[in-house]
Amino acid sequence: MIIIGLRDARAHFGRFVMSIIAIALGVSFVVGSFCFREMMNNQVDQMMASNSDADVYVRGNKEQKDSTSATFGASSDSGSGSSSSSNSTSAESKNYNRIDIDLADTINGVTGVDTAEAVYEVNGLVLVGKDDNAVSTTGGVTVGMGLAKGTWRSATLTQGRWAKAKDEITLHTFAAESAGLKIGDTTKIVYPDGPADVHVVGIFSTASSQAGAIIIGLNPQTAKEYFQQQSGQVGTARYLTVYGSAAGGQPLNVAQQQTLADSINAALPSDAHAVAVTGQSVRDDNAASTKKALGFIQPLILIFAIIALFVGSFIITNTFSMIVRESMRGYALLRSIGASPIQVFITVAVQAILLGLVGSGIGIGLGWLMVKGIVALMAHMGTPMTGAVDPSISDMLIGLIVGVLVTFVGASLPARRAATAPPIQAMNETVNPEKPVWPRGITGTVMIVLGSLAWLLCWRIAWANDADVAVSDWSWFNNGVKSLGTGWPLGIGAGLVVIGVIVLAPALVTPTSAVLGWIPAHVFTVTGKLATRNLSRSKRRTANTAAALFVGVAIVSCLSVVAASAKASVAGIVDSGLQSDFSAMSVSSGQIPDDAIAAIKKTKGVGTVSQSRMLMNVTYGSGDDATVAMTFAEQPSLFTKVFAPVTNSGDANTALRNGELVVGLQVAKDNGWKVGDTVKVNGQQVVVDKEATAKAQADYQAQVKTNIDGLTAEAQRLLAAGDTAGAQAKSAEAQKAAEDAQNVDPATLVKTKTETTHVTMKIGAIIENSIYRSMVLMNDDAAGKIANQYTMFTIMLFINAKHGTNINVLKARLIKAVKPYYVVNVQDRDEFKSTMSSMVDQILLVLYALLALSIVIAIFGIVNTLALSVSERTKEIGLLRAIGTSRAQVRGMLGIEASIIAVFGTVLGMVVGVAAGVVIRAVYEANGLSALSIPLNQLGAFLVLSILVGLIASVSPASRALKQPVLDAVAAE
Amino acid sequence: MARHSARGRKNVINQQDHVVARAIDLTKIYGDADNQVVALDHVNVEFERGHMTAIMGPSGSGKSTLMHCMAGLDQPTSGKVIVEGLEVSSMNQRQLTNLRREQIGFIFQSFNLVPTLSAEENILLPLQIAKKPIDRKWFKQVVKVVGLERRLDHRPSQLSGGQQQRVACARAMMARPSVIFADEPTGNLDSRSSREVLGFLKQSVHEYGQSIVMVTHDPRAASYADRVLVLADGHITQDLHHPTYEQILEVFADDADAGNDSTNAAHMTQESHA
Repeated sequence: MIIIGLRDARAHFGRFVMSIIAIALGVSFVVGSFCFREMMNNQVDQMMASNSDADVYVRGNKEQKDSTSATFGASSDSGSGSSSSSNSTSAESKNYNRIDIDLADTINGVTGVDTAEAVYEVNGLVLVGKDDNAVSTTGGVTVGMGLAKGTWRSATLTQGRWAKAKDEITLHTFAAESAGLKIGDTTKIVYPDGPADVHVVGIFSTASSQAGAIIIGLNPQTAKEYFQQQSGQVGTARYLTVYGSAAGGQPLNVAQQQTLADSINAALPSDAHAVAVTGQSVRDDNAASTKKALGFIQPLILIFAIIALFVGSFIITNTFSMIVRESMRGYALLRSIGASPIQVFITVAVQAILLGLVGSGIGIGLGWLMVKGIVALMAHMGTPMTGAVDPSISDMLIGLIVGVLVTFVGASLPARRAATAPPIQAMNETVNPEKPVWPRGITGTVMIVLGSLAWLLCWRIAWANDADVAVSDWSWFNNGVKSLGTGWPLGIGAGLVVIGVIVLAPALVTPTSAVLGWIPAHVFTVTGKLATRNLSRSKRRTANTAAALFVGVAIVSCLSVVAASAKASVAGIVDSGLQSDFSAMSVSSGQIPDDAIAAIKKTKGVGTVSQSRMLMNVTYGSGDDATVAMTFAEQPSLFTKVFAPVTNSGDANTALRNGELVVGLQVAKDNGWKVGDTVKVNGQQVVVDKEATAKAQADYQAQVKTNIDGLTAEAQRLLAAGDTAGAQAKSAEAQKAAEDAQNVDPATLVKTKTETTHVTMKIGAIIENSIYRSMVLMNDDAAGKIANQYTMFTIMLFINAKHGTNINVLKARLIKAVKPYYVVNVQDRDEFKSTMSSMVDQILLVLYALLALSIVIAIFGIVNTLALSVSERTKEIGLLRAIGTSRAQVRGMLGIEASIIAVFGTVLGMVVGVAAGVVIRAVYEANGLSALSIPLNQLGAFLVLSILVGLIASVSPASRALKQPVLDAVAAE
Repeated sequence: MARHSARGRKNVINQQDHVVARAIDLTKIYGDADNQVVALDHVNVEFERGHMTAIMGPSGSGKSTLMHCMAGLDQPTSGKVIVEGLEVSSMNQRQLTNLRREQIGFIFQSFNLVPTLSAEENILLPLQIAKKPIDRKWFKQVVKVVGLERRLDHRPSQLSGGQQQRVACARAMMARPSVIFADEPTGNLDSRSSREVLGFLKQSVHEYGQSIVMVTHDPRAASYADRVLVLADGHITQDLHHPTYEQILEVFADDADAGNDSTNAAHMTQESHA
């Protein structure tokens, strides 16, 4: 029996090609998704090992609420995978209280500690490349780190030396390569306060690739200064990195790390609020959170794997139905000469398993190639990956098992039919009528209704949160719902609706094809009618074929609605609110250098310039109740010249002018604030520490004096020894030292400290503009009492042209004015809108690629279904030809059938997708999706595309149908 | 264009030519050089307008091949087939399609109705495919003749075999083709249904001047015909005009000596199973 099966398989090989492609595609997605995840994890592990390579970290011992500075400006690299050292990794994991950097002295005294220090990191730098343009990569951010010998064990200096002065930098190999710079070159770095000339003095490499991040080694002192400036924190750090000496310069093993951490913990003073943890635990935590952040990619790929496999199993069922149909007489013969049903089943199953093996094998290879391709593409776009790509044995096994299983399941139904049909019935071709579809109709409808209810609930929850009212009248329900949130009902609703539609679809085939077939039935009277009726013959098959397209289109149209709404919302903000002619933002750190602001103000034709300045580390309330909110200082004219306020309560304009707080609705709701309430505002100011400065100056003077005294003494000794030349050189040196001391910039000797300020303010207005929803605004005078220039940064500028100035001319001038600062981006109103749009468009591009994929799979499905249907209808098509149907009419009939299947799937997908998009938009209305926009053009394009897809899919089955001579078809008795 | 010229010619020829279709020196050889089967061996035959002609013969005699070649379903190896003055044997697919729309109707042994269409839609199908206007009066008449007035809304699966074959006959007659080719029209029917079907085939010949060529192995069916051609081994061996049932039986009784009767019987058994 097995031999017969194998021979049959060889005979049917042509038929199998499509099934093999489908299985291979499905398996390749499965394997590819696993490979990709492993590659990413591998990359993350590698980067953790080389970037967070300290043996022990000392960090705060109290977990803290997320500090706002991490989400805006200061460190904007979360999730980019560039977590180069201790500081930025915390953006993805838990935050702890900051610790005093002076603890490093204590730790350095502990036995077994090689070095302990705070590594400072400055985010949002811009490196100017050889070609005088800012170096940027798609992969990641540009980061400056204070590096010296021993600061970062995994960084190996390959050329030159570490930076020692403010005008020196050491570049990571990838950064040097991207910028086209080498040792000895002079270039510019744009620091948060403006560009500066620097020399490249060294190149270093790291064990793992940095996923596209540009890493610049700075002089540690420079890094510290900018870090303090950026964070508004002086004398504290999130982490101290500690390298142990137990392994002789090599990384410590876990036990050694633990011993070292224990002895450091013993040495730490109890009031330091600090704790030492092993490097391994930090790496594990960080890696886990990074992997989690990247985890969404695999399910996305898996969804398409499931579509491919679903269609695959379906194609296989169809293919085997055809084969079984055609070989039925053979099987009947086998049965009549005594073969048992099981033996016949095996004959068919052997073919299926063979097919599954071949398909999965190809699929595994394809999946591997796919990940290779992705890696190559990412490298091409500036994100090199060194993670391992090759699939593991278990990946391959999973792929193989999935492939064979799907094939077997797909083939088992036709195989059962072959095995159990009574020989006589098998010899006479009888068509069993289809089981009624109404039970599926009812089940599907129930599921869709339940899903819609879940969506409604989700909507209601979001609305209730927003409007601050109870979800319903029943308190038990409200409590349950509160813990549920919006995510679960949304997801469950979507799942129920999608599966419900798939279940319901067969019941929809007849009414839908009557509706969809209306136009073709009137344009092409006969062929249209025949095509429409043919679809209702096997409703399940028609519905399953359409399902492939349905799922793909549903996902894509849902996301297009969300994307279009996001675009429309941004455009809405600009159209309805923004009144200035231009806006300026920094593309890197978020901070606009003061010199750039001055340059803009000086530009001819500029009328007014309005600055939005962010206040660092502002909290509201006192003690444990203190909450964080993004706080901005604005000009009093903000609401009249720049943005029209959408007021919830109070008068925003007056409030701002009177020095009261203007609070975004979200913040007000979170804190339960109302207009007229007073709140305590706590800020920070960095001020000169007079005592410390005096001491530093005195120390410096003393040091210089000692130096000069030493040199003078040496000169006198040399003179006494008769070395006149040497003595002269020494005294010249002494004189120079004295002169240097006089020329030294006193600013370098100024010691600063952070002082906390407390001001009580009244809430004057609550506004709803979506960009201000989660912000607190105050005017510049009020802000001056809370923060000072060291703790306030200009984030955005709004520029109005002088009356009568040509906007385009002014724009050109402005762009020229900010050119030397590299990072400042001046945009007019349309560009401001399109910044957001182009981002959304890029996401859409990825979606369209996925759509294209599901279309390809869907075409396979339709081709296959039609091929089966043609093979079943050989006689009928022959008859139609015999009574005068032209070849074109037969093609037309099949084309209409295929198109209706495609349109059916597409329309279902669009309805469900748009509904999901509308629900998502409504749920996230408070998060900025204020306008609903349904991209009708795109949906129309999908529809046209689906008709085309159907027509394309019908070509090959129609040719097969026409190849059959009319005589064979009608005379086949 | 083609249709117009064909129709024009048809009208002209109708008045002059009493022959609706003819085969000239028709030869059909199956198989390759090593294994040749001569199905038709230089056959010359003319089918008269307004007559029902039956083609008989044992299986393998070439009767089906002759009909298939006449109807343009099969390409002859050599010789010509002419239907209504048009040379069928040299037609391309498009011309064949036009031929089937204009000149030819078919009735098959296994009814061959479109299962998704109702009886009425099946009957009107050829006209709709050819985008011809529907002659409602003629439709009513045909339906009345075949006795399907009450069954027009039924799907083929709701009709008996006899009823289905009547639908097929009505379909063939509806377009008023020059000639209807019927391939064992009663092969799958019981004797009562057979009689009914043959009855109105004959009626359509006598009342409406329809030309019919029918392949059959049933002497009873052949006795309805105006003329019976008997084929054996690719040759026409007998050409009987208005034979009686007994005369036809006699012809085959002669053959019985050669053992053809048993093959014939075997043939019939197999076909009733198929």
